[in-house]
Amino acid sequence: MIKYIFKRMVMMILTLLIIAVLVFFLMHAIPGGPFTAQRELPAEVEKALMEKYNLDDSLPKQLINYIGGLLKGDLGPSFKYPGMRVNDFIREGFPVSARLGLITIIFVLAASIPMGIVAALKNGRWQDVLSMIIATIGVTIPSFVIATLLMYLFSHKLGWLPAFGFDKPTGYILPVIALGGYAMSFLARLMRSSLLEVMGQDYIRTARAKGLSEFKVVVRHALRNAMIPVVTVLGPTIAALLTGSFVIEKIFALPGMGKHFVTSITNRDYTTILGITIFYATFLIVMVFLVDMFYLIIDPRIKYEDGN
Amino acid sequence: MTKTQIEKSLWEELESSVDKSEALSLKHRTYAGDVWFRFRHKPASFVGLVIIFIVLLFAIFGPMISNHSYEKQELSFVNIPPRMNVYELGKGYIYITKNLKPIHIGNDSRLIKALPRIKEDLSKKRTSYDFDSDVIFVDYSSRPFKLMSEDIDIGKTKYILNKTYPLGTDKLGRDLMTRLMIGARISLLVAFIAAFANLIIGILYGGISAYIGGNTDNVMMRIVDIISTIPLTLYVILIMVVLPSDTGILSIIIALGTVYWVNMARVVRGQILTLKEQDYVHGARIMGTSTWYILTKHLIPNAMGSIIVTVTMLIPQAIFIEAFMSFIGLGVSPPMASWGTMCNDALEALRTNPYQLFAPSLAICITMFGFNFIGDGLREALDPKLKGR
Repeated sequence: MIKYIFKRMVMMILTLLIIAVLVFFLMHAIPGGPFTAQRELPAEVEKALMEKYNLDDSLPKQLINYIGGLLKGDLGPSFKYPGMRVNDFIREGFPVSARLGLITIIFVLAASIPMGIVAALKNGRWQDVLSMIIATIGVTIPSFVIATLLMYLFSHKLGWLPAFGFDKPTGYILPVIALGGYAMSFLARLMRSSLLEVMGQDYIRTARAKGLSEFKVVVRHALRNAMIPVVTVLGPTIAALLTGSFVIEKIFALPGMGKHFVTSITNRDYTTILGITIFYATFLIVMVFLVDMFYLIIDPRIKYEDGN
Repeated sequence: MTKTQIEKSLWEELESSVDKSEALSLKHRTYAGDVWFRFRHKPASFVGLVIIFIVLLFAIFGPMISNHSYEKQELSFVNIPPRMNVYELGKGYIYITKNLKPIHIGNDSRLIKALPRIKEDLSKKRTSYDFDSDVIFVDYSSRPFKLMSEDIDIGKTKYILNKTYPLGTDKLGRDLMTRLMIGARISLLVAFIAAFANLIIGILYGGISAYIGGNTDNVMMRIVDIISTIPLTLYVILIMVVLPSDTGILSIIIALGTVYWVNMARVVRGQILTLKEQDYVHGARIMGTSTWYILTKHLIPNAMGSIIVTVTMLIPQAIFIEAFMSFIGLGVSPPMASWGTMCNDALEALRTNPYQLFAPSLAICITMFGFNFIGDGLREALDPKLKGR
């Protein structure tokens, strides 16, 4: 077990290193330098800028510098906003994104699991059909379409909810639904199929034969096993929420990290794009690792001794 | 006692025939026929097929029939909705745009022209326009504005449908219908080419990895693991940023085609790993068949079922990513239209011109539904055990 965790940690660091190097070379593959603008810069100014950002060093030296900076937690300067560092964007945006993400995850879990359970227990009846219609819609319609339609309906037509910003707590409702729609639908479908399968197992029949109440059978025997696949996909789900948040933050004009990311893409602010990418990657890898550890705790049947 | 009369015909030999009850009553079907039968008899998947067929027709033939161009800007017909609130005059209708420009519409509901302005009277807060040598005024001294003819208020009359631009025009006066058709072309083209590229890379990568096995497999799969630790969308964004933006559609195809094969590689590997232990593969190997031949003639055809399902799931994903990229400003460059850029453009004017959002959103939703229904149907048709999951 400890060996497995150790192995995973080494793998994690290795992955991050590879991603950082990859991303670094991608950055240098960009045609034209970061200071190529519409207006031609005087040669001396460009030279001074190159010197300032250490871009006149050899490529391997720059790479070592960059990795060194990463290890110290420094993602480098922003090329488009003088004086700003990528870390500033993250420090500014991450709390907003994290709060939105946390609320969304709570919403997703609170909505999808009961939905899946009801659908499975009322298999074939109207509750099942209704939940699966909602889930199919959520899985197929892209989040930005849901977001724009919700915004049009609830804030422009009906005027019930604010269209942007977090000034009021109600400002969270639309972004959370739009962001969590896909994950909720996906998890509800998964929960339903997994519970349906478990309910057909022999030990459920045994539990019923023992005379346990239906509530006990479902909660104590069926749910515990049916939850396992749901927990497995939680890591990737968090990843999906994070990437989905770029566009949601853009639509609802939320000052989160996703908005900085999208803005830096439009501005072609390369260091910011790459810095935020690395930050996202680190965050995700750590999240997936934590979810896997949690999975290890709730399912005692799984042993990771040989690392499979 | 009477002699029993036996009919002569009864002594005759019966026609020799195989007993019908013993025969197989079902028509023999091939595997593909069987899959098609199961697929066809699921209403949702059949509907999906019809939807995609219609979208394809729309994308291929639409722009040919359409008498507008997707990029030509008609600056006098900007932001014209599909359903217009018009004033009825004898010679036709007048529609007043959001920025108070009257437009002459013929009795056949076709747009004729923007009326030429005669003079703006700032003190009376009204502008006069020449309407076929009659003078009409747009009076904006009070809200809502009024259309006057010689000091007489022309009351609002009715809504008519726009016959020139069935889906209206965008902020630059381009026909939304034609743009939607071009957008369908882009989306489907990107989706099919990207899915095909992923199919080839995924099959080769997964197939080779599983067939050779051992350390090669280990290393190749670790690479896949490393790639898929961060969301694939991020790679697509990075590649799109790095590729020069003037290549437009090509760069999005390259970005999608080179990233999304990892799932395919995993699926193929899983299939090949079980298939390569089958007796007929051992048999082929003993007979000295080459690795390449075994891979392409025995293993991959047998893994085709799950490969097809993965591809049909990949296509809507590609459409989604293309729309997503265009939406955040990384997709096709203007004036080319894509459903994602159309949604993005519409978002800016959501409050005043919401109709611009509905057409592209609906198009994306319908297409996604279509492909997903087909994918689900195929999965069940190819693997009947999955029924009801």
